[in-house]
Amino acid sequence: MENGIVFSIEEFATFDGPGIRSTVFLKGCPLRCMWCHNPEGQEFDAQYVRNPNGCLHCGRCLSSGTGELTQESVGACPRGLVRLCGETYTPRALTERLLKNASLLQAAGGGVTFSGGEPLSQPVFLKRCLDLMEGKLHRALQTSGYCEPTLFREILSRLDYVLFDLKLIDEAAHLHYTGVSNRWILENFTLLAKSRIPFVVRVPLIPGVTDTAENLTSIASLLRENGVSYAELLPYNKMAGGKYAMVGRDYTPTFDEHQAPASRPELFAAYGIDIKIL
Amino acid sequence: MTERVQNLLSILQKREYRTWRVTNDLDINAEIKHLDRYHRDAYRFKIMLEHEKAVLFEGERIGFYRHAKDFPYYTRPEDGYISGWGFGNLTPNYERVLSQGLDAVLEEIREKRRTMDATHTSFLDALEMTVVAALALADRYREAAKAAHPELYGALGQVPHKPPRSFYEACVFMKFIIFTLRCNANVHLTIGRFDQYMLPYYQADLDRGVAREDLLDILEEFFVSVNFDTDLYQGMQQGDNGQSVVLGGYDANGHDAFNDLSMLCMEASMELNLIDPKINLRVNKETPFSLYLLGTHMTKQGLGFPQYSNDDVVIDGLVKLGYDYEDAVNYTVAACWEFIIPGCGADIPNFITMNFPKVVNDTLHAELEGCENYDQLWEKVAQAIRAECDALMEEANTKSQFSTCARQSPYLSLYIDGCLEKGLDFSDAAAKYNNYGCHGAGISNAADALAAVKKTVFEEKSIGKRELLDALERNFEGCEELRLRLLDCPKMGNNDDAVDDISIALMEIFSSYLNGKPNDRGGIFRAGTGSAMEYLLSASKVPATADGRRAFEPYASSFSPSLTARVNGPLSVLQSFTKFDMTKIINGGPLTIEIHDTTFRNEDGIEKVARLVQLFIRLKGHQLQINSINRDRLLDAQKHPEKYPNLIVRVWGWSGYFNELDLPYQNHIIRRAEFRA
Ligand code: SF4
Repeated sequence: MENGIVFSIEEFATFDGPGIRSTVFLKGCPLRCMWCHNPEGQEFDAQYVRNPNGCLHCGRCLSSGTGELTQESVGACPRGLVRLCGETYTPRALTERLLKNASLLQAAGGGVTFSGGEPLSQPVFLKRCLDLMEGKLHRALQTSGYCEPTLFREILSRLDYVLFDLKLIDEAAHLHYTGVSNRWILENFTLLAKSRIPFVVRVPLIPGVTDTAENLTSIASLLRENGVSYAELLPYNKMAGGKYAMVGRDYTPTFDEHQAPASRPELFAAYGIDIKIL
Repeated sequence: MTERVQNLLSILQKREYRTWRVTNDLDINAEIKHLDRYHRDAYRFKIMLEHEKAVLFEGERIGFYRHAKDFPYYTRPEDGYISGWGFGNLTPNYERVLSQGLDAVLEEIREKRRTMDATHTSFLDALEMTVVAALALADRYREAAKAAHPELYGALGQVPHKPPRSFYEACVFMKFIIFTLRCNANVHLTIGRFDQYMLPYYQADLDRGVAREDLLDILEEFFVSVNFDTDLYQGMQQGDNGQSVVLGGYDANGHDAFNDLSMLCMEASMELNLIDPKINLRVNKETPFSLYLLGTHMTKQGLGFPQYSNDDVVIDGLVKLGYDYEDAVNYTVAACWEFIIPGCGADIPNFITMNFPKVVNDTLHAELEGCENYDQLWEKVAQAIRAECDALMEEANTKSQFSTCARQSPYLSLYIDGCLEKGLDFSDAAAKYNNYGCHGAGISNAADALAAVKKTVFEEKSIGKRELLDALERNFEGCEELRLRLLDCPKMGNNDDAVDDISIALMEIFSSYLNGKPNDRGGIFRAGTGSAMEYLLSASKVPATADGRRAFEPYASSFSPSLTARVNGPLSVLQSFTKFDMTKIINGGPLTIEIHDTTFRNEDGIEKVARLVQLFIRLKGHQLQINSINRDRLLDAQKHPEKYPNLIVRVWGWSGYFNELDLPYQNHIIRRAEFRA
């Protein structure tokens, strides 16, 4: 499938790479991080979502009787709370839309960032878009790093910048909290570090999960092994659960949300790594 | 911030001083009956000042606060006009009076009185009466300061009689002028290019070895002091009072004149976080990125300023309208956003308003069924706009004759170039520029409506003409699906030529027809992109429109995407709103962009917002107002006003306390598009 499913385009993204960027969120992710704040990005298919704020509980959105939201629900809700999340784009259509801002993005030292979901999970579409943008837009990828290394290599050659997440180094813990093994991720990270593509590592600080001294030490040492001297830390935000109701799910993290995440600067310093907390 | 400033600030924020103000309730009809028109105004001013008591807060050095809440009143016999607000929305020439001192001014008036013919006698006598009254007030303040306010006592021994010897004395003089002009019932008078005309005093102090921090303290005291009476200086809403400064911008030689005093003003404003003075930043192709960064730090504070204006567009536009280059280069910004000329301008920049959505809507109802294609419809719209221009200009020139919208005002005339020289009140068109501005409200709504009709009725033919008009008449009652289709059409703000071209055509017709047409004061008309309060007021009378807006709902404020438009983001907005040659429509009216406050959470985000502003200027946008906003906080403030006594928001051209705004204004702010990064 060459077409892609996009669940959001943010024109003025300020935290997704250098300069002013437009970030494209591709739908679907093979991981299920317990702290995910974009649950609408997890499913691969377009889905109807319902904003609970201002809901009258009138039930008109469910009048089809199936108990599911449908196309009719969109028009039926008097408050306009139901919408289809996920829009299909051809690579050309998406590229054209982004290119309309190319000169502004360039003038502001930025470009386009593919994020998600996990953008590597729509590889054909992603490659095609990156090819179409070559030479016209600075191209960045924000990724969990989860895909087959051969594929990662192919994508990497088409990128100008990468934002790479490192969450947990212990494989069992990774499997437990994200639903997948981290073997590909670690392998891809090494590939990235050896490539000449500029990149930044981002570590989500989840209280009691990723912010333990043990995990952060493992991350710091992995960074040093790979000659990386800078990382960005993203402290857990209590708003993470905010969008679960919209997709009809409960947010049930098993870690303590209210505990302040630890950034352990001294630990990174011991490995000669500069950190920035976002 | 020093303790002294802190004290003054806390007195201000407790607002207790408002409770001991008195009500004058002075009916002066009987006393002024026999007076001529200049003396009536002068007499009222004199009575007003005579009833003012010296108000001095503990430890402060500036003074001049209102004791009485109201003005003496009288009824003008000739037109039944109840004396209320006087002429406003201009920038007085402070510089001249500062540099001369009022004793010398008085001499000049008396000299004119001796040498000019009798037709000027009445005006000059009245003018003299006002200056004498103003000086008497200053002398009373001096007396009151004698015991416990030694600095002020010393300063008032010099100013306002004689020119200031220091930056401090100049600030006291300025406060005196601002205060007395407000006692003359002149509203919306702006402070103007404070960083230019005060610079000599500031520089001289520095050269003398006065420490910069000490000058910052004085400036901060001055800034705090202009906030005390803002509740009395109200326009349409509290906060709408015109106490704005303009910083930076080209000087007469075309070099950027942002200086250390401009910087000091930015610092003071950021430390104080008050609604006044509101800050306008003049920027241009010479502006260094560091200034955009500084401006963005200020935006982060959420006060809704600075507002940016682009010298390279505005000056050009003003020159095209016929302003002399040396005046245009000195432009300031009126209470909201209108570009005006300090000193020599007596324009009324907010006189009339083109209600674009209404004109388009009326045309649809009258003509749509007879039109076979969009071009025919467009012709009708163009005709209607020209006809509305004619009607508005007629209204301005005849029905609302100048004499009824601005009283004679000898004291104000003192601050307008040409008046004293010619021995004429400014209301006798003695100023150099006497132009009228016409706002253009709801441009985006109107363009969106036409784009929707073009697409659905003429191109796709998916909505019938009658069907559309019926739906509009029924306010979309039972036609929700049709409304959704209208909302799905191209909207201004998405960088989509399908609708942007229509907005360009609307502005072209409006501005090319109206600009330069003569008015009844020997001036001309000038078209703009502002809405003032009309985005709520006029809109509240206009039924449903074809952009999908429901009946009586607000338009976009000034030159911004409509509230119902789904907008891609700020980059598209910048491009949509800079496609037209903005030099042609330069009465003023900013693009407003709201950015979620989380974007400002670190230096990186701030730098990127600053880049956005710079992009707008590079794209030749004329005026930009960027807000840091947090919808959740505003909603909470509506529910729990007591928790947010000092929450300040941008309303239209000005900022005010959220709690003091009427509900529709609060709601509009909450609904405005907000971009999150
Ligand atoms: S139709 Fe809208 S308001 Fe009614 S229950 Fe569904 S989401 Fe809520």
